[in-house]
Order: sequence, then C-alpha cells, then structure tokens
Amino acid sequence: MKRTWPWLLALVLLSGVAFAMGSYQNDVYRKLLLWITLALGYNFLFGIAGQVAFSHFSFYGLGAYSVVIGITYLGWPLPLAILVSAAFCMAVALLVAIPATRLEGFYLALATLAFAQLFIVLLNEGGQVTGGTGGLANYRLPDMAGFRITGPAYTVVIVVLMLSTLAILLRLDRSHFGRACRAARDNPEAAAAMGVDVRRTRILAYTLTSTLAGLAGMVYAFVDNTVNPTIFGLENVFLLLFMIIIGGIGRAAGAVVGAVLLYLLPFVLSPLIGHHHALVFGLVMVLVVLFQPKGLMGVWDALLARRSPVARNHVDKGAKVQAHG
Amino acid sequence: MNDFLELVVGATASGCIYALVALAYLLITRPTGIINFAVGEWAMMAAFAGVVMLNQWDWPYPVGMAVMVAMMFVVGWMTERLTVRPLVESGAPPLAPILALLGMLVVFREAISIGFGPDPQAVPAAFGFGRLEWGLLAGSYQSFFIIACTLSVFAMAWYFFERTLHGKSFEAVAIDRRAAAWMGIHLGRVTAVSFAMGAVVAGLAGVLAAPNVSAHYLMGMPLAIQGFTALVIGGVGRVEGALLGGLILAFAEQMTVRYAPVPPGLAMGVPLVLLILFLLVRPTGLLPAREGRT
Amino acid sequence: MTHRRFFMSLHTIQWTRRAWHTVLLSALVGALPALAQNTIKIGMITDRVGPAKPYAEPVAAGATFAVKEINARGGILGRQVELMVEDDQGRPDVSATAARKLVDAGAVFILSVSLTPATQQAQTVTLESKTPHMTPSNGGDTLTTQVNNPNFWQTGPLGSTQIATLLSYAANRNYKRVALITENSDLGQLTNRFFKAGLEKAGIQIVAEEMVPRGSTSADAQMQKIRAANPEALFMTGVVTPENTLILRSYRQLGLKMPILGNYNLSVPVYTSVAKGLMDGVTFVDAFDPNKPETKRFIEAYKKDVGTEPYNLNGYGYDGVMLVADAIRRAGAVDKDKVREAMQATKGFVGVMGSSGAQYGFADGKRTGFDTNGMVVRVYEGDKQGKVVHVGVK
Repeated sequence: MKRTWPWLLALVLLSGVAFAMGSYQNDVYRKLLLWITLALGYNFLFGIAGQVAFSHFSFYGLGAYSVVIGITYLGWPLPLAILVSAAFCMAVALLVAIPATRLEGFYLALATLAFAQLFIVLLNEGGQVTGGTGGLANYRLPDMAGFRITGPAYTVVIVVLMLSTLAILLRLDRSHFGRACRAARDNPEAAAAMGVDVRRTRILAYTLTSTLAGLAGMVYAFVDNTVNPTIFGLENVFLLLFMIIIGGIGRAAGAVVGAVLLYLLPFVLSPLIGHHHALVFGLVMVLVVLFQPKGLMGVWDALLARRSPVARNHVDKGAKVQAHG
Repeated sequence: MNDFLELVVGATASGCIYALVALAYLLITRPTGIINFAVGEWAMMAAFAGVVMLNQWDWPYPVGMAVMVAMMFVVGWMTERLTVRPLVESGAPPLAPILALLGMLVVFREAISIGFGPDPQAVPAAFGFGRLEWGLLAGSYQSFFIIACTLSVFAMAWYFFERTLHGKSFEAVAIDRRAAAWMGIHLGRVTAVSFAMGAVVAGLAGVLAAPNVSAHYLMGMPLAIQGFTALVIGGVGRVEGALLGGLILAFAEQMTVRYAPVPPGLAMGVPLVLLILFLLVRPTGLLPAREGRT
Repeated sequence: MTHRRFFMSLHTIQWTRRAWHTVLLSALVGALPALAQNTIKIGMITDRVGPAKPYAEPVAAGATFAVKEINARGGILGRQVELMVEDDQGRPDVSATAARKLVDAGAVFILSVSLTPATQQAQTVTLESKTPHMTPSNGGDTLTTQVNNPNFWQTGPLGSTQIATLLSYAANRNYKRVALITENSDLGQLTNRFFKAGLEKAGIQIVAEEMVPRGSTSADAQMQKIRAANPEALFMTGVVTPENTLILRSYRQLGLKMPILGNYNLSVPVYTSVAKGLMDGVTFVDAFDPNKPETKRFIEAYKKDVGTEPYNLNGYGYDGVMLVADAIRRAGAVDKDKVREAMQATKGFVGVMGSSGAQYGFADGKRTGFDTNGMVVRVYEGDKQGKVVHVGVK
C-alpha cells in the first residue's frame, strides 16, 4: 500500500459520520456498508475473475451462522469462533470451487445456484443447531476485555471491514493475480499459454471472495442479532448482480456506486413510486446492458471525456479494450 | 404396485412440464448460445393470460390456447428484437444478453405482480380433473392432457430439426454462425424465431401447469430452475434430451419422496444433489449431441 | 481556458444556489413534524412487494380503516392518529431497519404485519428501544418465546390455539391416528410443529408427516404416502396457497376420503376461487364469525367506506389498531412505559375477530392475547365458507 493516509482519512470520516447519526440512519448506514463490502467481493469474482457464481450470498449466510453457532451452541469464545468460522467458509469454498471451476459459464452458474438452494434446505432442516426455519436469535456480541461494542462503535467495526476488503481487493486487482484473473476470464487458452495456471487462479479467486463474504457475514450476525434462512435467500444474489452491472462491472468504484444506489433507492423512492423499485431496477439493468455496458461508471467516464480531452483519450482506450473483450 | 403406476402418470406429467421448459431453453440456446433464464417468467405470463382469457372472459379452451400461442410468439420475438438483437449486432460479450434477460426476468415478474395483484388466480384445465384409467395406469385428465401436448410438441420439434430445411438451418447456425451466414441463412430471423418458439413452448408449460398449481407471480423461478436442471441432465445437444431430462428429474423427485426413507425436508435436496452430481460427472448430459459441435 | 473557467464558475453558482434551495426546503420539511406534533404516531410495518404481500396487505388495509374510523370520532386523547406505514419488502433485515426508522420518528407503538421472521427481527429493535410492539396477525407461537421481549405482544391466532380448537371439535370422533401435511415456509413449519405438539399431547398418534416444497408441480407422491399410512384424518398446516391447492387436488385425484382439518390459512377467501371444486367438506379453523354483532357492524362500515366486503385478514388489522388505541387511552399519555403497562393490563376487550364472547387479554403477564377459546370451526359447503359449527376448546 503506497500511501496509508487516504485510508486513515477514509476510516476517520466514515466512522465519524456514524457518531453524528441517529439509530435509524446508523442502521441503514451499517447495512449499506455491508452491501458495499459484498458488492466489492462479487465484483472481483464476477467482473474481474469472470465467474458467474450465485453462491456469494450463501457464504455471507455461512459466515453469519457459523459464528453464531460457535458462540451459542458450541459456547466458544468469540475469537475462536471467528477463526473457526473463517476456516470453515474457506473449506466449503474450496470444496465448491475445486469441482465447480472445471465448469464454464452457465454450468458454473447453475452449480452455484444449486449450492445456494441446498444451503437454505440445510439451514431449514438443521434442527437445534441452526434453529430450523425460525433461525437463531437471543445472542449478542460478547464483551471484549470488559468492553461492549454497540451502537456507533460497532459501525466503526463495519467500516474497518469494508475498507479492509476494499484494500485487499484493490491490491489484488493491481497485482499479478489480478492480471491472471482477467487473462483467465478473457481468454483461458491464451492465458494458459502465457503460463497462467487457469484452474488454480479460478479456485483462488472463488475461495478468496467467498471467504471475504463469509467474514462480512460474521460481522452482520451482530447487527440485528438475528439470523434466519429468509435473510439469505436467493433473491439477494440477483440484487448483488444488478448492483455491479448497473454500477459498472469490473471496477471497485462501480461496485460502490451500484451498491449505494440500489440499496438506498428503495428507501428514497418508496414515497414516490410506491413499492415497485424492483421493476425500475430490472428496467435500468436492461438499459445499462444495452446502452452503457460499463454501467454508471461508464456514464461518468463519458461525461468526463466531454470535459477534458485527456479523459477522452482514456475513454477511447477503454472502448477499444471492450470491443475486443 | 397400484401406487407406483398411479405415480407414474403424475410423475410423467410433471416431467413433461419440466421438459417443455427445458425445450424452451434448448430452442434458444442451440442457435445462439444464450441462456435465457426468463423462460420461467414467460411460463408465468402465459398462465396469467390463461387466467384472463379462459377464466375471466370464459373463452373456449382451444381459442384461448391459440391466442396464447400467438401472444407468446410475439412476446418472444419482441424480447429478442429489443433486448438481444442490439447486443448481438454490436458484438457485445456473450454474457451481455444473458444479463439483459435477467433484467427482463425481473421486469416481467414485476409487471404481472403489479397488473394482477399478489393473490394466486385460477386457470381452468382443458378437460377438467376427472379420473381416467388407461389399462393399469390411472391419472387425471389434465395429466394425460399434459403428456399428450408435450409429446406432440416434442414430435413437432423433432420433425422440425430433423426433417425441415428451416430446422436444419438452426442446426447450421448452432454449428457455425459465420458459415451459416455465408450460406445465406438469415441469422437475425433464426434468432428471432428461436426466441419466439422458445416463448411459445415456455408459455405452454405455464398454461399446462397452472390449473394444478394456480397462476401466481412467483411461479416462474422454480420452473426456470427445474427446467434448467432437466436440460443439464438430458443434454443440450438434442431435443429428446430435454424430454429425457425432464422425466428423469420428475421421477427422481417423486419416487424419492414416495419411497426413500428420507425426511421430507431433505427430500427436497435430492434434485439439487442430482444436479450437482450431473454437473460434476457429466455436464454434457445423458444424450450426446449429434456430430458437429457439442 | 478562461472560457471553461467561466462556465465552470457559472455552473458552480447555479449549483450553490440549488444547494441552498435544497437546504432551506429540507429545513422547512424538517420543521413540519414539529408543527404537527399534535398527532399520535403509530407505526406499521407491512410487506408490499414480497412473499407476505397477499396476507400483509389486507391486514394493513384493515388497520388503515381503523385509524380512519378513530380519527373520524375525534382521535385518541383528543389528538388525531397518524399511521406511519413502512414497507419491509418481506425481508427481515429491512424490517429491523424500518422499525428503527419508526422509533426515531416518534412512534409510540409499532404494528408488525409482515412475515414471521421479519416480525422476529424487528423485535431486536423494539427490545432495545423499549418500544411497544405488536403483531395482530402473525400466528407463530415462537414470536413471544424465542426472544424475551416485554414490549412485544401477539394477538394473531396461535398455532397452538388452532390445533386445540380443532381437536376439541373432533373430540367425539376419537381420532387415534392422523397425518400432517405442510410446506416448507417458515410459518408452515412452525404451525406444523405446534399442531404436532398439540396432537401428541392429546395422545394421538401421527402416522404420516409430509411436506410439499414450494415450486412443486404435484403433491401426489406425498399424498400417496399418506394414503398408505391410512390415517383417520389429515391436518393441513401449510400456509401457502399454491401448495395447499396441490394437496387438495391430489386428495381428490387419489380418491382419499378421510376428513381434512385445516389451519386458519384455509379460511382466507382466495381458496374459493383458486381451489374451486376442491373445498367441499374441508373443515378449517377461523377467527371470524360473520354473525357476531361487532363483526356485522364492522363488515357494513368497511363495505360502506372502502367499497369491498371485508374478510378475516382485514379484521386482524382492525382489531390490532383498536387494541393499541384502547391501551393508549387507558395509559392517558403518549409515554412508552405507561402504554406498555396499559397494554399488558388489557382485559376483556371485545373485538371484531373471535367468536361471540371471545375477549382479548394479556392475563398473568402473558404476551399472547387472542382468546384461547375464541377460535371457531367452520366447514366449507361447496365452495363457500359455511357457518360456524363449533366454538372454542371446551
């Protein structure tokens, strides 16, 4: 990381805001940050590594449930529960990735879709351990060294999670691994010829992003202090997909923009267009794919290009790359 | 034994519904390579068309069906024209149409939900639900009707692909788009017709399933997933594969519930596990494609 | 260069002016609530777009009508009632957010009419903020037991009450072996659990227990299993219309004859249209007796005002608001603690729902208020819901 001060500044600003807001806004803010975290991870998996996976949200749920089961049913101290849950998410991700990454395109989508459904079935049938269809409640974040982290202080935890995820993914994006992922996405044969172990790259990308989603899930578990199968249903993955497509696929900024827009818009639009925001999102999604595949970030780039010839150059280069892709 | 034979008819009927959805996917995927998840919502739309024409306006069944077929043809054609053609022509990556269709999936579902409200609605059956006994087998009129319709559709599809020039042109496009274009095959029309026919077949699945289940705006997704599973099991390469896949899926589901000593909640997981196994072990499905590209 | 700078500064001026307008407008809008401080705010969380919509929206409609009626009669404690409605989209985490919004907006009471897990998740907020919270329609028994929330009450018809009522009706049949069938929704499973517990407590053996997953195209396999077990009666504990329709269809197809006793979901009128020809003879438990005087009055008033004939779901919402209004009146002030105490002290309240003589009350610190004796048993005659044939659990 070349410069740490922008990150620290971001941390301070994003956390500071939490202390200035009421409990409702804090709640929206927290959940927004979590969605941004998920969108960033999914953007890497889908946009950069090119894997059409529908299991991202299931790992979110897996992380949440694991840590809760760890501290309630198994009675472990929090740090141990977190470690074991992370390891568990990683193990399951590997278990899914190793066979699944042999499949291409829509087969991978279907396999991960089946996995996501299987996850819900297992949660529902989990009896005592998972709380069945009612889920688990009645727990809270254990005190750490005598301190109880609640309220805006917990929001800071989520900010840290989001920024760490962003930092890790940005770093990976710009590294050799990121280039390998893109190569494997665009042209696996050429990538293999260039010495990229396509299979291993795919497995790593999947495992990494899924584990990050699991970590986000662990943090989520203590936001509402409830986990149940309904929260982690299939619809959410579609929302995640829409977020990164509408925001701008392949770019972290796109994931952030998409997540902010699609998460906050229903709250804002409700008084205006009633409750049909899903219809609006579907339409916008289609329009974006048809007219501006680079999403809102593409629109932003185009606007910048109109202002300055330097930026216009960037946009043209980007367009050329896109035509080949 | 009686139970088994009775279940055979019911399971076959369910399998036929899955097979029709699988066929809808296949008709679109073969020439274009596009996976259209919106077929489930097309089935749902046709079911609601059935609600309006057959229930509310009380039209005779054949008339309603004919109008539904025409309507779905137009819907499929328009979907291709508006959301897929521009992408294919501008050279967008193959994922793009799939994503656009996912967006359309949501649009279709929400439009129906807004138009008809959240309550499930009734769709009449072709011949009612009387019990028909045919030799050792027994089932409802509707089940037999579904089987009959499906077999006819598959027979037509098989004939189309195997014996007609148009069908062969589809195969040609599936094998090599560019070569097909050079041979004078109109790519745009092939794609549009494939979408239109896919919509008709999906719509048929919806109208045939709805009398049993009712027409409700959430019925699309399960059908889409079941149809896709059937397609994977049977194989994308051949029309018969869709039928085989649908039947295998339905039989696996229902026979497991009926005979396997598995708690009912977990029995739900059986088709999922089956799908995952197929994807891992034999992703091309049971029936290999004909010579040419897989 | 200067050209661009000029345009940019003009743009900046415009933007600044626009920003100022927005700030002023927001300040004004922000000040409005202060002007309208005279209203009593009741919050309601419903599902307008998600899976609970068919059941939540009618309840919400009943609640809205109740608020209208109250306001027409002068409000509560001389103040008008403002119903703040939030849509949780059937998502439990959004429900919790919506609850927070209502609490911050000054709601003195929150009504949850959405999905069961959504109501559950909203309780985290009402527990923390000590806000009175009630569900007038959810029937899942665990809502009051999973989390110990002294601010939460439930006046929906409990699964345990439903089975007790059905069993009391069937007492003279002396069932020894019965079957259960449900689907895989949260509430369906919950209802099944409590029906099972009630049956086992009565010493009745459950010879088959089946589940029809949502999205199924047939229930034949499950019903064949039930037929093979030869039960004397079949209890339907599912709450989702398509799957229940499949079950009823299968029942006829397979030529089954044993009596069907259904949970209160079968009382919702949608079955008369969707399951036409399948309902004759089906027994179900309900909380709506259209011949009760209070109910008759409600039906007429609702029809006159809204234009459509109300049914049981509307009644739950109506009673919910009336109960809350009654508690606030007795509390004498819009103070959460006082309202909570008054709510807990509710006794002998007669509402639209329930049989004649049924009363709402939270005696002995209980937080479930629907009269355990207040459900009725009715039987479908043809496709119409027949008269009440049995009342209560005695």
